[in-house]
Amino acid sequence: MTAAARSPHPRRARPERGEQWAETSRCRVVAARRFGAFTALELLAPEIAAVAWPGQFVMVKVPGSGFLLRRPFSVFTARGDRLGLLIEARGPGSERLADAQVGEALDLAGPLGAGFPLEGVRTALLVGGGIGCAPLQMLTDALAGRGVPVMAAFGFRDGRQARVAAAFDIERLWVATEDGSVGRPGMVSDLLAALDAPPSATVFCCGPAAMIAAVQRWAAGAGLRGYASLEAHMACGVGACHGCVVATKRGALRVCSEGPVFALDEVVIP
Amino acid sequence: MNPAAVDLRVRLGRLELEHPLVDASGTFDLVETARRSRGDYVAAFPYAAYVPKTVTLDAREGGPPPRVTETPCGMINAIGLENPGVAAFLEGLSTIVGLRRPVIVSVGGNATQEYADVVRRVETALGEGARRFPDVAGYELNVSCPNVPGGLAIGVDPQLTAEVTRAARAATGRLLLVKLTPNVTDVRPVARAAVEAGADGLSLVNTFRAMVLDRSSLRPFLGNSTGGLSGPAIKPIALRMVAEVAEALPGVPLVGMGGIMTGVDALEFIACGATAVAVGMANFTGLEAPRRILDGLRAECAARGFARVTDARGVALARGA
Ligand SMILES: Cc1cc2nc3c(=O)[nH]c(=O)nc-3n(C[C@H](O)[C@H](O)[C@H](O)COP(=O)(O)OP(=O)(O)OC[C@H]3O[C@@H](n4cnc5c(N)ncnc54)[C@H](O)[C@@H]3O)c2cc1C
Ligand SMILES: Cc1cc2nc3c(=O)[nH]c(=O)nc-3n(C[C@H](O)[C@H](O)[C@H](O)COP(=O)(O)O)c2cc1C
Ligand code: FES
Repeated sequence: MTAAARSPHPRRARPERGEQWAETSRCRVVAARRFGAFTALELLAPEIAAVAWPGQFVMVKVPGSGFLLRRPFSVFTARGDRLGLLIEARGPGSERLADAQVGEALDLAGPLGAGFPLEGVRTALLVGGGIGCAPLQMLTDALAGRGVPVMAAFGFRDGRQARVAAAFDIERLWVATEDGSVGRPGMVSDLLAALDAPPSATVFCCGPAAMIAAVQRWAAGAGLRGYASLEAHMACGVGACHGCVVATKRGALRVCSEGPVFALDEVVIP
Repeated sequence: MNPAAVDLRVRLGRLELEHPLVDASGTFDLVETARRSRGDYVAAFPYAAYVPKTVTLDAREGGPPPRVTETPCGMINAIGLENPGVAAFLEGLSTIVGLRRPVIVSVGGNATQEYADVVRRVETALGEGARRFPDVAGYELNVSCPNVPGGLAIGVDPQLTAEVTRAARAATGRLLLVKLTPNVTDVRPVARAAVEAGADGLSLVNTFRAMVLDRSSLRPFLGNSTGGLSGPAIKPIALRMVAEVAEALPGVPLVGMGGIMTGVDALEFIACGATAVAVGMANFTGLEAPRRILDGLRAECAARGFARVTDARGVALARGA
């Protein structure tokens, strides 16, 4: 596929809150590829894929009893009528979803949240840590569709976790592992300085809090602006319960509604 | 019996409801949902009345994150009554003026006088231009707020509960409900105090004080350390409390809640004496929850031969309600 063909609606503007959908749809799993503890699911989800924006997420109902709250998952890819999710088994719910079988139908609500702003981005530096890499593929697709050059740096714990890098289709991708088994040894933040990003670059990052704090410090030092996508435990996912707030310089804001993407310099890591 | 023929209408005090289901305060935001739905969600609102999140006189920031997580058969929350204050609340309310269902405003406060102040502010706004708002039919006093920050909830004390209720009663002629906390040894003295002080009905239960640990650090998971437990895990305790109050105060209309996920759950609360029932955590399972529970309630009534939902009221009680 050419970059333009898979880029999501390159001329559309970033959706405002009114374009976050609380409604649910049942979506069939059409492909499931495993990468160690990660599974890349491809779902037939024409309605969600058509309007999804990079950085948005869906609330997925975990099949079976014993799961009440929906689980939030970033949009990994949105290509044609297919919606991709990248799932790391981290607990009972994500384990069940990572185990989803082709043909199974999942109940999704979304797309939700405010995604990454793309207006005015000239060069992009994407930084992902662990499962935080998930939203960066759709972001890459969208930026490629706009002709924006993309560099990406992913950090993983170890070689097993780093196997998920094979799920990505990003031309200029650097990998670091903490145990040194794949790519550059160390943290992804150590990789950044070596990448020599131009001063016009916009940083997009998603990952553990410690990584975001490190990227925040580095970007401030390098004079780069950027965005961070944050995680929070959620109940409703649609702005109703105020359960998902995080601290920002603008006060406590809801990850599901004002986020999950925030300006990198407004995020307050505890 | 044909489920479609079941008469679901109930009277909650002076309020006629099309069916017994309302949303539990803090678990459904109609203003937000309307903005996120295709079609006119406000006009198609599935609940029989809208109970918004508890509002206080001034804006409140709420508690530190994290604030929610799932627990076995339930969830815990420590939102800390975050809300924009009554003035901003009224602005929000004016955006859903097309609502065809009554609104029951949930009121909170620290000092006993704050509740009445909020009620007066709403009454004043309605007096100045009721047409700007949907039909505000009454109030639900959430007495689970602490009396002083960090202190005991007003609702554990019959005296304080009566004071709050009396002050609010003096401020409005509309339907007045008091929402009881379950964090007491015996809920009946508080229930009785609220009714004697002028409440038209009672809602119960609010959440149970509880705690969840972060399994790796073994530290409290919630930013506030403790929070409120809700969902199916609390349903048996909530049923017991509703039944106790229904037996102690026959004739007082009750809004029962706690873990209602299905139609039969709702019917069980009615069997324990509730007139109406509120759906909380189930709203987080998806927008279709209220319709699914309502259809379930209708089918469960029909299956048991209840031509009217009111026929089921109190059947679980020792001497009816
Ligand atoms: C905006 C957003 C996007 C996300 N995108 C992805 C993604 O693309 N791929 C992916 O694998 N994971 C993603 N996550 C994390 C994912 O939601 C959690 O791993 C998942 O909810 C864990 O559920 P569980 O039942 O396996 O774990 P449990 O720990 O058993 O879950 C218990 C409760 O805590 C919540 N919870 C636990 N960990 C997290 C967490 N890290 N973040 C939020 N809630 C949590 C669960 O939703 C559930 O309500 C995202 C989280 C957010 C907030
Ligand atoms: C996230 C959340 C927020 C809540 N906020 C309020 C509130 O603002 N005011 C109130 O009276 N009750 C509040 N409650 C309690 C519910 O209204 C209800 O009493 C309780 O959750 C039990 O019902 P359930 O088991 O169906 O959820 C809240 C509950 C939850 C889960
Ligand atoms: S999860 Fe309910 S407001 Fe964000």
